[in-house]
Amino acid sequence: MRRLVAVLVVLVAVAASGPTGYGQSRVTLQVAIAADVNVVEVHRNYLGVAFNKNNPAVTVNAVGTGTGEAASRAIYTKLKAQADTGRRNWDVDVALVSMRYASQMAKENLLHRFVSEMQFAPYVVGPDTVRAFGVDIKGYVVPMFRNQIAIAYNPQFVSKPPRSFAELEAWVRANPRRFGYNGIKGGVSGIGFVMGWVYYKTGRYDLFAQGPFDKANDGLIRGAIEQLREFNRNVFVTSGNAGTLDALNRGEIWMGAVWVDQLVAWKNEGRMNPEITPVLIAPGLPIYPIYLTVTREAANRDWAGKYVDFVANPQIQAKVIVEQFGWYPGIDPNRVMPLVSAAAKALLFKGVTPEDLARYSQQMPIGDYYDAILLAYEEIVR
Amino acid sequence: MNAARPVEQALWWLAAIPATMVIFVGFGLPLVQSVVASFTRDGVLTLANYELVYRLYRQDVVYTVQVAAAGLALTFGIGIPLSGYLRLHHSQTAEFLLKVPLFVPFVVVGHAMRIFLAPRGTLLVGLHALGLASPDTTLAISEGALGLSMALAWKHLALVVLLLMGAFRGVSEEYLEAARGFGAGTFRQIWAVLVPMAAPSIGLAVVLSLTSMLASFSIPLMMTKGSGPQMLMIDLYYRYGQHGDIGVASAIGVVSYLLAAGAAYYYLKGIAR
Repeated sequence: MRRLVAVLVVLVAVAASGPTGYGQSRVTLQVAIAADVNVVEVHRNYLGVAFNKNNPAVTVNAVGTGTGEAASRAIYTKLKAQADTGRRNWDVDVALVSMRYASQMAKENLLHRFVSEMQFAPYVVGPDTVRAFGVDIKGYVVPMFRNQIAIAYNPQFVSKPPRSFAELEAWVRANPRRFGYNGIKGGVSGIGFVMGWVYYKTGRYDLFAQGPFDKANDGLIRGAIEQLREFNRNVFVTSGNAGTLDALNRGEIWMGAVWVDQLVAWKNEGRMNPEITPVLIAPGLPIYPIYLTVTREAANRDWAGKYVDFVANPQIQAKVIVEQFGWYPGIDPNRVMPLVSAAAKALLFKGVTPEDLARYSQQMPIGDYYDAILLAYEEIVR
Repeated sequence: MNAARPVEQALWWLAAIPATMVIFVGFGLPLVQSVVASFTRDGVLTLANYELVYRLYRQDVVYTVQVAAAGLALTFGIGIPLSGYLRLHHSQTAEFLLKVPLFVPFVVVGHAMRIFLAPRGTLLVGLHALGLASPDTTLAISEGALGLSMALAWKHLALVVLLLMGAFRGVSEEYLEAARGFGAGTFRQIWAVLVPMAAPSIGLAVVLSLTSMLASFSIPLMMTKGSGPQMLMIDLYYRYGQHGDIGVASAIGVVSYLLAAGAAYYYLKGIAR
């Protein structure tokens, strides 16, 4: 409760310190969110309310479109339809979408290049703000937060966690069906694990993450996926990220590939064995940002940019994104982490240190390789 | 009288237009669009989508039919004797309890069954408490076709009981009395009197349950593990949601239509003549 009050105080203080007024007419800022309900709630109950306090003329209407890539696709389809019919004043101002669809929307000219106009533009850094899936996205996106895929383990059963994929492979051989991940149809954490596996087995991370695409590399991918089929024989494939966490909690598996944010959130809510610890293994696993974007024909384009700027404020990032929800900052961590409490830092970096993140966080592959890897998985592993 | 007929007919047509349009716009048009999309890739007519369905999902077609068939067998294997028994030996409480699953959403059934049948789930904890399972035992029912069929059967049993009870009540008491007069017991009355006389309704219940099981999405999504064969709707969702691949998603949809239409055709031709 005290933390909640502290967060609200910070939000109001930050809101009050910003510029005031922007015309007198009433505006409803339409924010479409392709993420879990907790992300919708952040916008609806915290960020939207605080933004409205500072800008009484603006009401934030945050709407969730579901979870997974399908949720981002729903927003993309809506914008594409409005673009195709030549409509002006689109009914979505700010869209919070996955990396995959943000890149597609940038490619198809559905987004407004707004970042340079932001007060906190210099803090929008990192390779994932420049290119995604082989598409130039610089200036179109601001990560609201970043989420890392890591290997969570139960210290009760695993005294020496693996530090690399090679060690994980050996461990799984020695402990059949005690490691779990969710395949490729149960969400992006499983997909990310598969991408990490292909990087590890081929040793060609740069090729897959930066391109260019060459169909001749299909053999390389299929070779890695055939080895994954063997690896999977000793693996417990769960139905989703929540399924992996559930199985860890019940002791059915002792190790699993999970999103760090959900692990931290479940621990915060008391739904998770607090002993379960994440570790990031070499050569690395993907980090996946979720992007705030402004649509090309947003009816309230200026307000949309200001709202994104508000979310990119280091104070908001520290108190809401990191402390309250256990996400990694969306903007430059050097600007955010000094503002984060020691307790929150300890929880966030238990197991996965900032140094690990710097060394072992990887990007998703470019679109064509991403599809080729998933197709190979469907065909070979099933 | 005769002069009024064309006017009356025109009015009937007019009255039917809104409902027909709803069917056309809400179902007919999307159906045509998805059939066209299933034969199209990058604006060119092709069989490539079906080729990919054959390459990646043919086992899933078989699996989906198997799960639906097992679900049907369970549902009717339990539903027919139960409804028959309740028709002959009335129990309002039992009838109400059997209809409870009607009001439980599919997704809740999926979640509940996942927890109940998990390797160390509620069922195993119960068995362990009764001394019927050792602490080291694990179950693997929830992951496979058996768990899925059980969940689908539990959910569909309520609708089937509702339909069968109606049909069995429609069978005149005189036939049952005659059967009892010849010494027929409960089982014989169900098998030799109620089932044949309610055959059209049983056929309808089979078709309705089968199409619903073929189209089931949330229960498989909650229950199945991420590897091995999947129900077709999971594949369809994955193709559309993850890849935005409308062509292959539509082709999977068309295959599902054909499976469901096959059952409906059999019903119309064979039973409901």
